[in-house]
Amino acid sequence: MKRFTRMIYKNPDELIFGHAKFPVSERWDIQFGAGYVVPEVKVAPQEGSEVSKEKMVAECRNIAQSACQRAVSIGLPSFMLEQEHVFQQTNNPEWGGECTRIQAEILERYYDEYGISVALRQTPADIRVEERAPGLRGSDYDNKIEESMEACAANGASDLCIETMGGKSASDYGISRGDIKAVLFGIGVLGSIDMEYMWKRIVKICQKYDCRPGGDTDCAQANTAMFMAGGLLDKDIAHTTAALARAMSAGRSLVAVECGAIGPLKDCGYENPIVKAISGVPIATEGKNAVCAHSDLMGNLIAATTDVWSNESVYHRQEMGGTTPEVWLQATGYEAALMNTAIETGTSETLRDIYTLTDKYRDPQGLILAYDNAYRIGEAIVNYGNDPYLRARAAALEAGKIINEAVDAGKLYLTRFERDSLDNALKILEELPLDADQFTDECLRTYTRKVPEFDPKSYEL
Amino acid sequence: MSNIEELESKLDQNFVAIRYNVEIEGPAIRPENDLDVRNILPTEEPYKSIALAVLYGDMEASLSNVNDGLEAGLSPVDIINNGLMKGMDAVSLLYTKGFYFLPDLMLSGDSMMEGVRVCEKILGHKSETKGTTVSFVAEGDPHDIGKNLVVMFLRANGYDAVDLGRDVPTTEVIDAVEKYKPLLLTGTALMTTTMTVFPKVVEELQKKGLEVPAFGCGGGSVRKDFVESFPMSVYGVEAYHAPKLADSILKDKKTWKDLRKEYSKIVGEFVSEYA
Repeated sequence: MKRFTRMIYKNPDELIFGHAKFPVSERWDIQFGAGYVVPEVKVAPQEGSEVSKEKMVAECRNIAQSACQRAVSIGLPSFMLEQEHVFQQTNNPEWGGECTRIQAEILERYYDEYGISVALRQTPADIRVEERAPGLRGSDYDNKIEESMEACAANGASDLCIETMGGKSASDYGISRGDIKAVLFGIGVLGSIDMEYMWKRIVKICQKYDCRPGGDTDCAQANTAMFMAGGLLDKDIAHTTAALARAMSAGRSLVAVECGAIGPLKDCGYENPIVKAISGVPIATEGKNAVCAHSDLMGNLIAATTDVWSNESVYHRQEMGGTTPEVWLQATGYEAALMNTAIETGTSETLRDIYTLTDKYRDPQGLILAYDNAYRIGEAIVNYGNDPYLRARAAALEAGKIINEAVDAGKLYLTRFERDSLDNALKILEELPLDADQFTDECLRTYTRKVPEFDPKSYEL
Repeated sequence: MSNIEELESKLDQNFVAIRYNVEIEGPAIRPENDLDVRNILPTEEPYKSIALAVLYGDMEASLSNVNDGLEAGLSPVDIINNGLMKGMDAVSLLYTKGFYFLPDLMLSGDSMMEGVRVCEKILGHKSETKGTTVSFVAEGDPHDIGKNLVVMFLRANGYDAVDLGRDVPTTEVIDAVEKYKPLLLTGTALMTTTMTVFPKVVEELQKKGLEVPAFGCGGGSVRKDFVESFPMSVYGVEAYHAPKLADSILKDKKTWKDLRKEYSKIVGEFVSEYA
């Protein structure tokens, strides 16, 4: 496996929505990062649909049908439908396969009839449970994920993604206690090891079919930190800690690309702008049109470098404006239309900069993902590209530097909690060993004792 | 100057985003100097030092103070009630006031629990608690950070919180209810299709003629209207609400029906979901 030790992008100013260095083509005449932004819609099956395969298939059919109908009703040139599996779909791979088949049939029908460019992303769930023998590797759940991936690829998915959970036991412990060493161990070391295990298999499956290996997101770890950090008045996690976790996660999510994933990377990976700057692959992101799923503090900024603009997730139900697949595809569709208009009229750089400035100093988490800063973190990562631990550490240190510069310049203000958490974390990170084995040994000694769910065997440690 | 720098120079940041958390911050004071905390903390030694070690989340100091106290012949029960728990009461108060944050709470909770474990070893049995609660994550759901917080908050507030783990089969939940007869059962789920376990749990409890005063359900995609579509349940909004709900069941004999009606009042704050 070849690690990234050089930036594919040579200048942060090249980073812009709708354009990636390595565009991706999928069946049904769609490209990503090829000069236009594709809107995405994703809808969670409603409760009750999990009781039988028939109900789940009908639910997925209805979601696809509604999305296609609204797409042509409002004149979208293209869109991506993503189905994130619920537990039952992945645990019963034939369900996932059948849901994919029916959704692919519907998309193809609209493609044939209207010429609309479409894509079908399937995202099996990571249902593994680390503390239950045999852990993350080789369990029934692990095997079901692989079978589910294969069933989706064989039945018409145009790309596959997943949100792997490796390292979560350690990072959950660290995030909830402000223990930055545990966060680094969970994301940078354990997360990266598990990604390699999972993604080598996914890429192999995709190679057998007309199906692209999309990407992975550190939803399980960096998004946990972001969600717990919450809004400005929440009192759980320091937003500076969440920002450092996000920076680390870029090193971890890059592993999917190093294993052969080609994008578009998964939408809830807020670290994707950094991964794009390093690797040149197209990315999906989500922000202001994902408020149906969660709140973030960078609703516009995260659109600046996107290639696929997503709503994240929403209950499948009725809104005043239609069903949720219709309503939220319309929301992402119109935002993509704005970006595509800017591209066509030669004003995309201005729009990108306005998106960025809207949120750049709202919160440290957004600041480090502004495209110029994302690029700097990317450079820190590739400087230590061959070592997943050192590159995650370098990413966090660079993020800390970026935050401190903005504070010193009087552009960003921190609370005492944010300030203290950042100072404390940077001090610890700076003093960590420069040898990955030494760091891992130290962490094994500490966290096997402190975190009951952590199972070193799951990472072959 | 690049384009973005030029644009930035024209922009008044406060026109687009205000960091209200910074704006509202009061002066920095030592936690033990907060007036309400002063009223909670013991004044006599060694209880004061034991409580302060918990307040500062200092596990080593906590263990060392507890061991010193035990060696000096203090009763383990007094150390728990007059030292460790008082420190934790102060921590909970500071968290509620927005002065302390989750990591403070977790580290203090760890320090308190370690001290309690040492005392229980001497006692030879578990210390007296306010009551027993049972917590689980729905079958098919591996997301357990919310459940872990609920368990920590309950333990920190003096409950014997039984933790069944994540991806827990419904039969195990029923067995635990039968065994522990908890005053509060909590279930968490991240996904819409795993939260459907909750009504099944209630159905199975009813089949066996079992009942709990309240079954708190919460987590990522869990909705209040769904939770209130079956009996025995209460939609839980924040993990730190759990001990307040448990207290109201214990002290005021509140039922799940009362909790649904009086949720905001019981947890002592505005809760938009219950507005």
